[in-house]
Amino acid sequence: MSRVATATRLGVREQARRPLLLVLLVGLPFFFITRAIAATEKLPRTIELAGGREVLTNMRDIHGATMAAITVAFLAGLVGVFVMQSVRQADRRLVLAGFAPMQALTPRLLVLLAATGLVLVVSLAVTALSFTPQAWLAFAAGTLLVGMTYGLLGTLAGAVVGRLGATHLMLFGAMLDLGVVQNPMFGSGAPPSWAVALPGYGPGRVIVDGAFSGSFHAGGALALSIAWVLVLGVIVAVVLGRLVSVQDRAARRWRHADRRLTT
Amino acid sequence: MTRTAAFTREQLRAPFTLVLLVIVPVIFVVASAGVLGDFARAQGGSLAADAASSLAAGWAAAFVAGTLGFFAASSSRGADRRLALAGLGPARVAASRISASMLLALIAAAAAFGTLLARTGVAHPWHAAAAVLAYAVIYLAVGVLVGSLVSSPLEGSLAVAFVFLLDVFSGPGMAAQAAPYSISRKAADVLIAAGSGNASDAADWVKLAVISSACVAAAFVAFVLAARSRS
Repeated sequence: MSRVATATRLGVREQARRPLLLVLLVGLPFFFITRAIAATEKLPRTIELAGGREVLTNMRDIHGATMAAITVAFLAGLVGVFVMQSVRQADRRLVLAGFAPMQALTPRLLVLLAATGLVLVVSLAVTALSFTPQAWLAFAAGTLLVGMTYGLLGTLAGAVVGRLGATHLMLFGAMLDLGVVQNPMFGSGAPPSWAVALPGYGPGRVIVDGAFSGSFHAGGALALSIAWVLVLGVIVAVVLGRLVSVQDRAARRWRHADRRLTT
Repeated sequence: MTRTAAFTREQLRAPFTLVLLVIVPVIFVVASAGVLGDFARAQGGSLAADAASSLAAGWAAAFVAGTLGFFAASSSRGADRRLALAGLGPARVAASRISASMLLALIAAAAAFGTLLARTGVAHPWHAAAAVLAYAVIYLAVGVLVGSLVSSPLEGSLAVAFVFLLDVFSGPGMAAQAAPYSISRKAADVLIAAGSGNASDAADWVKLAVISSACVAAAFVAFVLAARSRS
């Protein structure tokens, strides 16, 4: 466990030494959310919450409720993509040096979680300047779940399609999923039925419920969100574990050969 | 194999890159074209639905080209310096890099434009094609300039995204008044006019040509300086 703690501490320190990254992770949500909410007109709009209830609100409030999710999803996704690049470059060497694969990967995922947490806190703070959800706990939980989901998706995308394709997938994916399909600003005020297949559906419903309802009725959506995170977490652990473990088998052969030479 | 072909192949090394260069703009234009009119109205803009939809093609081409330019510039510094030292010279290396990046940006722009034509139709298709290409050229230069200053892929991608989001959501159609810092303003004006069935006047075309040429020149200079630098 001390290896994990040390590697996590060093990983966080590595990220903290990059001032431009911190500026962008803080500045981009601040600018994007503030500007988007301020520029939206207060046009009346009826939206549908989880459970079929309807609420009359306005476009500015809906935008305020959804912008944090889009921002957190996109930024967490991008951080996940480039966490993958670090795994490829450095963690195979750690495994060769004696780390178990999960000991090498856990710190990376913790750094991803920390970056997601930072973006989440900034996004929620900026949102609070312009919009107050009815239930902060549900609103924050939904936003955290969307960040974790997209962070893990970014990690997988970086492993499968490379950084260029993964960058495109994360920006356009977050914009389309959370900014268009799940967004009650468009269409009938509720996501279409097929939207349940997208990763943003569960967290999106939780966020909208927390934003516009004083009582929580999105239990199903919450369970779906948690399921997405758990399943993606397992897939990421398997995929990344295989990536760093390819050398693990070679390392065991080398260590075995080494022992035979020295005895 | 020519230098441009070699550089193009280098960008396409990762699996599915070429497929995603086509599919991502297609899906984005199909999915967002229908809602951009509503979004523009919510943002205080006054665009008709078709005009707003045409922006989706420009935006898709822009972001894809921007990230292409960034990764081309940031990942090629050391190699370009060595190629220049080996006898190619900075100008030829830079020209090949620009050509390779433009080729890939053209593929994404063509995919976005083709989808726009199929999805909504455009009253002035050649004008729209020129505007979408201008978006790609402008953002290719943005990506190259960011890549020449920022080497880390995460920071660079975020910087390109920041410029993109600042620009498109402050630009024509998405705000009551387009911001002066919106770098794609002219391209957006021509694209919106094409989508609305209006022809752009000569002054708009001249400004668009000047901006696009300046962007290509800036990207070329950035690649030349990188190929000559000692760091």
